Amino acid sequence: VALTAAKGVLRVQLQCKNLHEYLKELSPEILDRLYNHPATCLAVYRELPPLAKNYVMRMLFLDQPLPQAAVALWVKKDSEKDHDQCVSVLSGLRLWHSQQLQGGLQGNILNPVFKDNLRIALLGGGKSWADQGDSLGPDRHARDVESLDKYALERWEVVLHFMVGCPSAAVSQDLSQLLIQAGLMRTEAGDAPCITSAGFQFLLLDTASQLWYFTLQYLNTAQTRGMDLVEILSFLFQLSFSTLGRDYSVEGMSESLLTFLQHLREFGLVFQRKRKSRRYYPTRLAITLSAGVSANSSSTAMGAAPGTGDSGFIVVETNYRLYAYTNSELQIALVALFSECLYRFPNVVVAQVTRESVQQAIANGITAQQILHFLRTRAHPVMLKQNPVLPPTITDQIRLWELERDRLQFSEGVLYNQFLSQADFEVLRDRAQGLGCLVWQNVAHRVIVVSPQGHGEVKRFWKRQKSHT
Amino acid sequence: MVNVLKGVLVECDPAMKQFLLYLNETSALGKKFIIQDLGDTHVFILAEVVHILQERVGELMDQNSFPITQK
Repeated sequence: VALTAAKGVLRVQLQCKNLHEYLKELSPEILDRLYNHPATCLAVYRELPPLAKNYVMRMLFLDQPLPQAAVALWVKKDSEKDHDQCVSVLSGLRLWHSQQLQGGLQGNILNPVFKDNLRIALLGGGKSWADQGDSLGPDRHARDVESLDKYALERWEVVLHFMVGCPSAAVSQDLSQLLIQAGLMRTEAGDAPCITSAGFQFLLLDTASQLWYFTLQYLNTAQTRGMDLVEILSFLFQLSFSTLGRDYSVEGMSESLLTFLQHLREFGLVFQRKRKSRRYYPTRLAITLSAGVSANSSSTAMGAAPGTGDSGFIVVETNYRLYAYTNSELQIALVALFSECLYRFPNVVVAQVTRESVQQAIANGITAQQILHFLRTRAHPVMLKQNPVLPPTITDQIRLWELERDRLQFSEGVLYNQFLSQADFEVLRDRAQGLGCLVWQNVAHRVIVVSPQGHGEVKRFWKRQKSHT
Repeated sequence: MVNVLKGVLVECDPAMKQFLLYLNETSALGKKFIIQDLGDTHVFILAEVVHILQERVGELMDQNSFPITQK
């Protein structure tokens, strides 16, 4: 989560990392243990850029290291950049490492653990990934895909409802604890938790990003709960390869995995009829989970959006009116975050996007970009026919309303002026620049502004200069 | 000797800067707050007036905006 301070108001910006960025941050030992499971290797492989996939495939069945020069020859001269990017991705994920060849050259060899498990994943063999529910016999209470989807949507919406503050939504203590730790809500001294500005931004994301962000937060806190990160991650990847509509058994799952399964049940990622049930059904949310953030930013999420129920339902007109064809409390609450609701009918809510409502949303920490993303991803099919999807007047005006608040930019500093000579000025200016604390300078008038942190150092430097000359 | 002053550097567009100079001259914030005028787009001001300044700018923007929509 990156922080940008804007004129005294702290705006927290959500950053959704994708799978690779998350993995890169893990320590090498954990990564190596992770690669012990074929499901993980396959999931990581899927997300690689095409050139990297090609490299991995070529080296998959080699048992000796390949000289780096040979690898560099695989691309044409003008694709050097792609090659370098590929190399950095593969090294960052520890999929390969360098080894000295006999002739003294540097060679590359695939991480042996990764190599073996990817082979298993591709060719079959090894342990079966998830116990099929066959051993338990046919399920009398079997659920079909539709009801699974409905269930997943319901559960996920309860979580979101809870964040928006609907009194009817109730979640377990664990879940609200997790939300607080993720920075999406905060609680003051025994009161019910209330939402933060990061939480607002989270609400406006589309479901896939929300799920992924949430899962990452969960994984980050997993260790503090005494759960094994590797186990959980492998189980997640296994889930993402399961078939929708098929049940799996909980045989052989450890205590912490069972707890994890209960949490997943609460988010709507799996369905289990009762807590003690011995079989579970993964829902669509779990399966699309590790496809994660990368695939969703383009329009793919819109038509077949799992978990949003209906496809797009918002129509935005050039007179700043907004029509939301929904009666879901949650969606209406989200629209009300940045617009003024005018009328409500059984199937439609009429709202208006005004300067006050947008600036109120911005004061709560939502950015114009997020509002526009929200409108775009939930645009009604009628809107999708026009290009661009949202009227330019509206998009420009929302951005302008946001920029209104940024007309003045403040930075604390210390002003140095009235230098006796140009040389003095330049010496001090260069020193400040070298320290990286020069905020602004005006050569013609011999004035510089230094940041408060750098001021101490620059002052000492100046005193030393003075005592020398 | 070099003159050293502590404060806040403000960056804005020329129109906004004129507004700041106007506020300074009329002491609208209670006192003169501009320590130094640094050019077309920068001024150096006292640190404590930052919040009130934001409010004033907000008021100016409110005065200049008209509700464009009809209910």
